[in-house]
Amino acid sequence: MAELIQIASDEDRDTFYLNMGPQHPSTHGVLRLRLHLKGERILSAEPIIGYSHRAHEKMAENRNYIQFLPNPSRVDYLSGMIYSIGYCQAIEKAIGLEVPERAEYIRVICNELNRISSHLLWFGTFLLDLGGVTPFLYCFDDREKILDLLDLVSGSRLTYCYGRFGGLVNDVTDDFLEGTARFCTAFRERLREYDRLVTQNVIFRNRTIGVGVMRPELAQQFGITGPCLRAMGMARDVRRDEPYGIYDRFEFDIPTRTASDCFDRYLVRIAEMEQSMRIVEQALAKLPDGPIMAKKIPRKIAPAKGEYYFAVESARGHFGMFIVSDGSEIPYRIHLRTPSFANLSTMRTVLPGTLLADTVSILGSIDIVLPEIDR
Amino acid sequence: MGRIKEIAKGARSLIGSMGVTLKHLKDEPVTVEYPAERAPISPLQRNAIRLIEKEETPGSHNCIACLQCEKICPSNCISITGYRPEGLAMKRPETFDLNFALCSECGLCLDVCPTATLGYTKVYDKAGYTRADFFHDLLEEYRETEEQVVEHLREADRRKKAEREAKRKAEAEAKAKEAGDAQ
Repeated sequence: MAELIQIASDEDRDTFYLNMGPQHPSTHGVLRLRLHLKGERILSAEPIIGYSHRAHEKMAENRNYIQFLPNPSRVDYLSGMIYSIGYCQAIEKAIGLEVPERAEYIRVICNELNRISSHLLWFGTFLLDLGGVTPFLYCFDDREKILDLLDLVSGSRLTYCYGRFGGLVNDVTDDFLEGTARFCTAFRERLREYDRLVTQNVIFRNRTIGVGVMRPELAQQFGITGPCLRAMGMARDVRRDEPYGIYDRFEFDIPTRTASDCFDRYLVRIAEMEQSMRIVEQALAKLPDGPIMAKKIPRKIAPAKGEYYFAVESARGHFGMFIVSDGSEIPYRIHLRTPSFANLSTMRTVLPGTLLADTVSILGSIDIVLPEIDR
Repeated sequence: MGRIKEIAKGARSLIGSMGVTLKHLKDEPVTVEYPAERAPISPLQRNAIRLIEKEETPGSHNCIACLQCEKICPSNCISITGYRPEGLAMKRPETFDLNFALCSECGLCLDVCPTATLGYTKVYDKAGYTRADFFHDLLEEYRETEEQVVEHLREADRRKKAEREAKRKAEAEAKAKEAGDAQ
């Protein structure tokens, strides 16, 4: 028996394993990180996922295209509008359905509002992880206003099912348009405040500048997208590279930074909120009158036999839907390419060598949503 | 020296942050003390479904038990059984049950309803101890008046049928007259 028990060497005795999660407030869901530590230094880190797997892709194989409508927004509950409308756009492209102008504009407004709300929640919880409670309360105040606005048009606050093939469920009201315009002016002021409150804060700067640097080659190896990629200095954005919907009609910049540390990822997201507001304001100014549903919607939604790929820019990066159709009303397979999964995979490379205390800020800065990783 | 500089920098950022906090001290509260007061809800807010009462005839609804909503529901939370009352052209629902615990509030049932009978309730904070608490019987409020409504519909159907027959008779007579004129 004695031989079977391996006696740890002196070196092994200094190191130990630490489980971070699955129930840890800074993992934003149920992520478990298996950390191999020597003192406070991380030797190796392994994200273990799958705790909130709900089989969305499998569900798609058991129902028709219309019945899958409520699912995409549940994949990523923080940018549910983008996912829900993205799925509609994917199917519309597959069956060749034209969407009325007004619906397209409303879709853009809702998408960008949703992007701001998602970034706001990230911003608040990221600072909460770092120990700053005050900004969190302001963020949630602003986010609440967006949720109320989206509630006005879609009837739900978080998991929207607002898009339909060929248009939208409800038309926007004057309340919504006025509220959105009001929000945009108020939010500009708020952003300046956040800058004073957070960006200039010494503790925040010390904890993020130079922490969690991602080397640019990681982007290619793991397929990093979204704000994490743009913080590396690469101006890639699906809205600009492969414009979907009517995004090619709007003027907006793609904010980039070069240092690729936590602080840069923070700045990119803040700049993105400003750009989103620019898009919202342009869309509000140009919003045309007209119907919100296409006139002729086929009773049977059945794309021709083949494979379709459609991508949208979610708040976290490149969200792609790969749809395989066998010509029937029920999809043969829908694969969802989610950005958080690729971004989280880098943790195995990025975390080793850093301090345990920095794990929280690195993990927070890539903005993961666990249900989106597990699907 | 470096240390003093750092302390000064920290103090400056602290004062800057405190300034923001102080500025917000005079703001109106943004929170609502929930059970005592309630925030207004959106007129489109999605919730458990209900059958909309017809305006012209109180106590009745327009459901024809076509089972479209039952078929499209992704979560299978609606179950309906229909029956055809004597002398009525359309079906009526005998039971219309909603298992709200499964509902995901997608609103697809409202989209497909051919008679636009489905709407949303406005109760958003219902809690329960058992699963049975989330079974909604949508016909509950209509059960008492159902017989009257069916009688009313029967009458309407009869009237319609009589009208149709009268029209057909008139047409046939007109035709016969025309034929007679031609001869």
